Amino acid sequence: MFSRELKKGSTELLILSLLEDGPRHGYDIGKRIEARSGGRLRLRIASLYPMLVRLESRGLIKGRWVEKPGERRRRFWRLTSEGRRVLVRERATWKEFMAAVNAVVGGSHA
Amino acid sequence: MPDWRRYVRERLSLPRLRPEREAEIVEDLAQQLDDLYRAALHQGATQSEAESAARREIVDWNSLAQDITRSDTRQRHSLDRRAIDRLEASPRPAVALFRIAAQCVADVLHGWRLLLQKPGFTAAVLVTLALGIGANTAVFTILDTVLLRPLPYSEPERLVRIWESNPARGWPQFGVSQPNFLDWREQGRGAFERLAASTNRPHNLTVGGETERLPGVAVTHDFLPLLGVRPTLGRNFLPDEDAPGRGNPVVLLSRGLWQHRFGGDPEIVGRAITLNDVPHTVIGVLPEFHWGRYDVFVPLRPDPNENRGDHRLSVYGRLKPGVSLDQAGTALAGVAANLARQYPESNDGWTVTLNSFFDWAVPQESRRPLYLLLAAVALVLLIACANVAGLLLARAAGRRREIAVRAALGASRARLVRQLLAEAMLLALLGGGLGLLAAQWGLNVLKTAAETAVPRADEIALDHRVLLFALGTTVLTGLLFGLAPALQATRVDLQGALKDGATGDGRARQRARSVLVVGQVALSLVLLVGVGLLLRSLMALIDTPPGFDPRNLLTASINLPESRYPTAKEFAAFHQRLLQRLRGLPGIDAASIASGLPMDGNATMMEVHPDEAPAAPDGPAPSAQWRLVSPGYFRTMGIPLRAGRDLEERDLAPDTFDLRGAVISETMARRLWPGQDPIGRRFHPWNATNPPVTVVGVAGDVRLFTLDETPGPAVYFFFVRWNPIQIAVRTQGEPGAFAGLLRDEVRAIDPGVPVAQIRPMQELLGSTTSPRRFTMTLLAIFAGAALLLSGVGLFGLLAFLVAQRTRDIGVRLALGARRSDILRLVVGRAMHLTAIGVAAGLAGALALAGVIRSMLYGVGARDPLTLVATALLLVLVALLACWIPARRAARVDPIVALRCE
Repeated sequence: MFSRELKKGSTELLILSLLEDGPRHGYDIGKRIEARSGGRLRLRIASLYPMLVRLESRGLIKGRWVEKPGERRRRFWRLTSEGRRVLVRERATWKEFMAAVNAVVGGSHA
Repeated sequence: MPDWRRYVRERLSLPRLRPEREAEIVEDLAQQLDDLYRAALHQGATQSEAESAARREIVDWNSLAQDITRSDTRQRHSLDRRAIDRLEASPRPAVALFRIAAQCVADVLHGWRLLLQKPGFTAAVLVTLALGIGANTAVFTILDTVLLRPLPYSEPERLVRIWESNPARGWPQFGVSQPNFLDWREQGRGAFERLAASTNRPHNLTVGGETERLPGVAVTHDFLPLLGVRPTLGRNFLPDEDAPGRGNPVVLLSRGLWQHRFGGDPEIVGRAITLNDVPHTVIGVLPEFHWGRYDVFVPLRPDPNENRGDHRLSVYGRLKPGVSLDQAGTALAGVAANLARQYPESNDGWTVTLNSFFDWAVPQESRRPLYLLLAAVALVLLIACANVAGLLLARAAGRRREIAVRAALGASRARLVRQLLAEAMLLALLGGGLGLLAAQWGLNVLKTAAETAVPRADEIALDHRVLLFALGTTVLTGLLFGLAPALQATRVDLQGALKDGATGDGRARQRARSVLVVGQVALSLVLLVGVGLLLRSLMALIDTPPGFDPRNLLTASINLPESRYPTAKEFAAFHQRLLQRLRGLPGIDAASIASGLPMDGNATMMEVHPDEAPAAPDGPAPSAQWRLVSPGYFRTMGIPLRAGRDLEERDLAPDTFDLRGAVISETMARRLWPGQDPIGRRFHPWNATNPPVTVVGVAGDVRLFTLDETPGPAVYFFFVRWNPIQIAVRTQGEPGAFAGLLRDEVRAIDPGVPVAQIRPMQELLGSTTSPRRFTMTLLAIFAGAALLLSGVGLFGLLAFLVAQRTRDIGVRLALGARRSDILRLVVGRAMHLTAIGVAAGLAGALALAGVIRSMLYGVGARDPLTLVATALLLVLVALLACWIPARRAARVDPIVALRCE
């Protein structure tokens, strides 16, 4: 398990990355974060949901009610073009940061 | 299965968010908990295990609420709704007042946000309202100025206009002779505080060698005090300056003349200026006041020794306080009766007529068009309201869910109606504000157009009454278009609305919109019929032959100063030279002068006493318009000579200048000598004791004042002496191009004689129809707006209908309906509504025929051609309006249509 701060700082990036392929609803997002991290990351609705609201307020994602035959309506979130730009930028920053951290952390072992 | 929605709603409170946002979040969270719960069940958990797994997702509800509120920066409410709700429950009146205020603020803010969310809708509504309210305000401003505002004189209700009248001859309002006026003034003191008189007297002003003709008026010394006008510089006329043959020539200047010609010179009082070649001492400068357009005011100097039968003065009176118009009329009639006994020769048969200043300044026939216009523009606003109501109804359909959610959250129907009305009011007020701006702009345009068409046009301006009217109209408009949709929208079936999507039957709503469209079509038709009838009247009027040829005819007016042209001899010398010069110019076919031209507004009437015993021995002597004309006048004007010859030199006694021969009009010939040859007959003009005149020719009838009049008897004499002289020039080509030439020729003979009122006859003729054209143009604009609005209303309804019925249409197509069937369905619906509207409109137009009848000419108020053409026009517009929706419907792809639900 990772520290709370690390998780919180990177959760936004996680959500944006997950929405890159297409719109998803809230439960689906939580589920996929858990699956992709091999069960190592688990976000409860209580922490995931305010994050979605904040991302929408910042205009990075957009929620929309969608009804599919045989199902009740769900709120699907999709990436806005602004969100897509931020994702590209954040992802690059994240990789640089991880490379830097790896260089430092791995270096002491070498 | 647990009710997750209730579970969340009981735990989560987001008072700072808008209610529909809160409901949305509740639903979203409930949905996710439900998903989790189902997933757990799916993975083999028991019901209670799955339930507690879901419950573990959110433990601290308070911090979740805080997190969401903090995150949701856009949707936060500026007021704590819960606080308002708490206030709402309070029984204390002061709190209740505050509560209502807070609610209103919240409602308006909410409405504002909604409007910003739908800029297209908002713009459409605001433009419609601004035009509707703006047009109403503009027309009301004119009506207010002309009919409601008191005349701009002190205590105007005590002012009266007085005429001599001769009922036996059918002259209800005639000018007053100078001796009669003086006797009235002397003997009418019991009823009148003052009596004053005026008569037009243009003046030639010479400044630095340049002479200019100015509109002037001669008034008695108490004329200005009677109106309550005081000079801003200097003083009024003294009684002494108003006596015949006494005192030096004095003059009062208008403010405009003082500023433009004398540079606003503060030392002007006491200076001498040259008027009609005579130095006049300026005794003062007048303020701007609404009384014709005169630049020069001189004393009238009424003379008791003038001819009692020469009726030329306009007379005004100020009633003593407490004296009624009728009492004053009776008193003055008594004076007139005494005068008739005293001077039977001139005064027999003459009495007086009185009218209030207001009835005189704003005659009956100029009021009716204003009321008609106000009614028309109110109809336009009604149609606009119907459109906006239609838009709101359509939008309400899209907001069913929001309204249902609010109702589900506990909002009462009254609360919801209030909310929707607040939105409507907000729209109305914004529209009204824009409308006021539109009215201000429109009035600037209208004022110019109204100048020749409406009395008191120079006073037109917005005032507090207009603002009140605009506000009242706005509020009424808001209620009108807001109430029905609000009541309609809040009558929702909660379960149904929350359950299904955006569609649903909404049959009542469609019926409401259909009724609106039918009403719009009907009202538009009524307006269009009105325009059609006025247009046909105007066309009939323009087609009416005036009795002369107005094309290529230039008219002008000159005034020969008495100082240099004291007798008929000098007059004759001047105009003979002028006509000779003019006739010799290239491009000029003919030139003549006259004491008055057709359509120039000058009227001169006289009695006619035939030499032989008249047809009806006891009846009054017939009367006729008379004009002095130069030889060649009939050729210049294009008036046909029916019999006899034109006037010649020999029709005037060589030395005495007595009249000997006359040309009379056809009507006059028919009236005096029916079925006989009038040539060679004799009559006594003006008075039975005057020497007789022989008829030498008969000219065609001429309409002298308006095109819609029936030409009356007219007599033409050889031109002797008359001021101002009217000039008529028949030109080859555009008459306006000869203005400079005409001016040069006059100057070449006498540089001290300025030429004024140079106008093509067509323009003069056009000005007589300008009130009609003003009314018709405005009405046409309103009817056009009504037609457009109705078309848009119909279009909106059909487009909405097609959008809602997409699925239905898809089913029909899938079941084998052809595209043409679908087309027919939509067009049929449109035509059905239009037909009902047209039928109602025709019924309305027929019922309202009486309203417009008195304003028509040459066309019946129920003219079938106009009715049919108008109905066809509306059907055409309806077809245009349904074209796009119908094609959209016919293009529906059944697969897509069926899938979209």
